[in-house]
Amino acid sequence: MLLLQLLINGLQVGAIYALTAVGFSLVFGSTKIFHVAHGAAFTIAGYIFYMLTVKAGAHWLVGLAGSTVAVLAFGVLIDRLVYAPIERHEGSFFTVFVASLGVATIVQNLIGTMFGRGFVSVSTPLSKGVEVVQGVYVSPLVGISVVCGIGCFLALHLFLTRTHVGMALRALGENRDLVRAYGLNPRNLSTLALALGSLLVVPGAVIAAASSGLNPAIGAHVMLISIAATIVGGVGSLVGAACGGLLLGMAENLAHWGLASQWSEAITFVVLLLFIIFRPAGFFGSAIKT
Amino acid sequence: MLAYLVNLTTLVAINVILAVTLNFVIGYAGIFSLAHAAFFGIGAYAAAYVAMHFTTDFLACVAVAMVLTGLVSLALAMPALRVRGEYFVAASLGLQILAVTVFTEWKSVTGGIGGVVGIPSPTIFGRPIVGTTAFMVLALVCLAITLAIIAALVRSAFGRNLKAIRDSESAAGAFGKQVALIKTFSVVISSSLAAVAGALYAFYLSFINVESFTLDTSVLIMAMVIIGGAGTLAGPIIGAVLLLVLPSALSYLWFLPPTEIGSIQQILYGLALVLLMIFYPGGLAGALTRGAGKDRQGDREAGAVKA
Repeated sequence: MLLLQLLINGLQVGAIYALTAVGFSLVFGSTKIFHVAHGAAFTIAGYIFYMLTVKAGAHWLVGLAGSTVAVLAFGVLIDRLVYAPIERHEGSFFTVFVASLGVATIVQNLIGTMFGRGFVSVSTPLSKGVEVVQGVYVSPLVGISVVCGIGCFLALHLFLTRTHVGMALRALGENRDLVRAYGLNPRNLSTLALALGSLLVVPGAVIAAASSGLNPAIGAHVMLISIAATIVGGVGSLVGAACGGLLLGMAENLAHWGLASQWSEAITFVVLLLFIIFRPAGFFGSAIKT
Repeated sequence: MLAYLVNLTTLVAINVILAVTLNFVIGYAGIFSLAHAAFFGIGAYAAAYVAMHFTTDFLACVAVAMVLTGLVSLALAMPALRVRGEYFVAASLGLQILAVTVFTEWKSVTGGIGGVVGIPSPTIFGRPIVGTTAFMVLALVCLAITLAIIAALVRSAFGRNLKAIRDSESAAGAFGKQVALIKTFSVVISSSLAAVAGALYAFYLSFINVESFTLDTSVLIMAMVIIGGAGTLAGPIIGAVLLLVLPSALSYLWFLPPTEIGSIQQILYGLALVLLMIFYPGGLAGALTRGAGKDRQGDREAGAVKA
């Protein structure tokens, strides 16, 4: 029974991780920006939702809208103010990565000063578990996470394969110069990728706020999960990133069967290292060799 | 005032060791590690454990710390360096987060959140090192040795191999260089020297806990390297001194709430990283020597390392 319970919890966490990782993978795959501040977007979305619903007492839809607007602004601003000027003059992996890490540090500490360093959460009747089988509790949030995960992923897939802008975005990852030759602006596409990628953290952040809670350091955890899922799934493959996220969420929860919960991040690391040793290409996609 | 300066000098020496060793992998090998604080911590806990259970001999403690840290870094570097830079960043980030968990949970060795208390004073050849001044001298000697090792390595054939790999891995490989082996070796050297800083830190404070070895510390050391200027010998020293003097300067600003000074510092480091990457990717050392970063080619050579 415990195993079933852990599988269900794993499904909920995995769906959140999958969406977040797809956001990171989308940015990294199409723009080659190693966007470690992706975790910061997650923190912002979660805390804005918390601020509006708990502190200001607004309706949850208002909270959702607020955090959506906030992460969109974050994605667009970080691209325009930080990544664009760096890419204009040089834009090596190193420079972009350090700047992104700087932004992540700023956000984590700003949130920490504003809201305190402890855990906060949004309480909702949705997170109350209902006993379905004896000893197995399922909360409506599990269903919401899974439906959100699948829905957002399908919407993104349709956008990337059926619309012109989506196809241009995929082309950007393949050949930047050719995109420019076709008269499209790679910078605008990068901004779009950052905005879309950041948007994908909103469901995860809101569900996390309503279930396990948030703290300012959650960004670092999300950052690790997103990068690990991208590698486990195969760099450049969105389906891979989603599977990677799901796998990591499952592995983390199944580990509770034998280990204390503090070790969940250790499990992520072990899975990541195993993939790097035995299958650096991930599930899908090809390994970036030097 | 003198006691304050002695204390500051000791802490600066320890941090310069960390910055210089991290710069060795970032600036010369072009490898990005987010686990430097983890290596620092492993060195500190290992030295503390040996000192409390076996011998207080400084050299023995440092040797154990270096070997243990070297082995951990080898386990990280061997698989992660066969593939491209991003994989190492991810793996080192994972190791850093895992290390914090281990430092917090392995209570019999690390004392959990409370940390290790009452680490005895070290001895060298049977003579105890007592007092802050003696300790400052010890720290400075360790710093001098580390700097000498790094400087010698950078100038040697090994250092030239590293720089060749940093600038173009495929070219270095085409010349028959064992790219993965050389990179792995550089990570092991850097991490085991960081363990020296860890041992010094544990003995100096006679108390360590996980707070000193978190991801924030890794980012801080990285900020020292980058703000100073990666890939230069003077850069990390400038960076470490600046970032250690800044907190004392901040405490003079009366309008800042004292409880938030830690966060304000981190915000300033983050801001400095972002602004430097936008305007002077070569860091301060790069900006000073290359005419305020107008010379783009110069910037690139000074330290904006390609992955």
